[in-house]
Amino acid sequence: MSASYETLTAGTRIEGAKFDVTRESIRAFCDASLDYNPLHLDDDYMKGDFGRTNFGGVIMHGMTNFGLITRLLTDWAYPLGAVHRRLETRWVKPVKPGDTIQPVGIVKSKTTSAKARWVVIDVVVNNQRGEPVATGEALVEFPLAG
Amino acid sequence: MSKTDFETDFWKDAGRRKAWDDIVPGEPRKTIPYVLTLEAIHKYCRAVGENHPLYFDEAYARTTRWGGLIAPPSIHILLMFACTPADDWMRSPGTINVGQSWSYNVPARPGDPITLQARALDKFVKQDRLFVVHDNVFFNQHGQVICSGRGWTIRPE
Repeated sequence: MSASYETLTAGTRIEGAKFDVTRESIRAFCDASLDYNPLHLDDDYMKGDFGRTNFGGVIMHGMTNFGLITRLLTDWAYPLGAVHRRLETRWVKPVKPGDTIQPVGIVKSKTTSAKARWVVIDVVVNNQRGEPVATGEALVEFPLAG
Repeated sequence: MSKTDFETDFWKDAGRRKAWDDIVPGEPRKTIPYVLTLEAIHKYCRAVGENHPLYFDEAYARTTRWGGLIAPPSIHILLMFACTPADDWMRSPGTINVGQSWSYNVPARPGDPITLQARALDKFVKQDRLFVVHDNVFFNQHGQVICSGRGWTIRPE
C-alpha cells in the first residue's frame, strides 16, 4: 500500500540517509552557513573547557542535524503532496569527525484542523553507536481530503 | 553574499559583541538585508546532502505547486548569519547552540531579497550556565513571512 495521510499510523517509521561527518564536511557547512564559530574549526581552542564540558576536539554544527532532519521530512512529504511546517530540536550529544549519523522520524499522531490535516512526527538523529545526538518533533501539513 | 565580504574570523570583532550581561531581552538586534542566490542555495544543499530537484531543476520545479526553484526550509541556517552584522552576539566564539524551533510559511527563492527581524527574547541561568533565547522572523520582498523561529544558546563566559 502506498503511503498517504489515510494510511499513516502511529509508529510509521521514516528513515533518512546516513551522513558521514568529517573535518571536510564540517568545513563545507561553515562555508555554506557562514557559521565560522571556532567550535567547529579550531583544535587548539577546543582543548579548553566549556564550563564543566571538554569536547576534546572540534565538533559538528548542531544545525547540521537540523538540516539533515529537514531533508528527511521534505523528501518524505513532497511526494505525498504534503508540506513540512515545523521542526523543533535539541542537541543531546556532540558529533565529531569520524561519526556517521542518520535521521529517523516516527509518526506520533494525526490531527485535523478547519483547513488542513496534520501529522506530528518524533524525530531523532542517531550516531553509529545508536546513541541519539539530536531529538525533536516535527509537524507536516496535508491538504483536506476531497 | 560572497565569502570575500563576509568576515570568517569570528575572533576579529569579538570585543564589539554583547556579552550575556549586556544582552537586553526584547531589544532588537541589528540586521542587514541579503539577496539569496541560487549559488548560495546550492552550496547549502551540498553541505547537508540535499539533492531534491525542487532545488536544482528549474524545468521540474515549474511543474510543481511551487512554480519554480525554491530553497530548502532550513536555509534559515545560512540566513541567520547572512542577515546579521559582524558584531552580532550570535557570532561570539564559544556560543553553544542547544536547540532551535522553526515554523515555515512560504519558501525562500533564489533572487529573493530577504530581511530579518530578530531579538533576544529571554535570558536565564540554569545549572550555572548562561542562556539566551533568540527570536527571529525572515521576510521576503513581498512582506511575506518565510519562516520564524527561536533558538536556545549557552553564552561564552
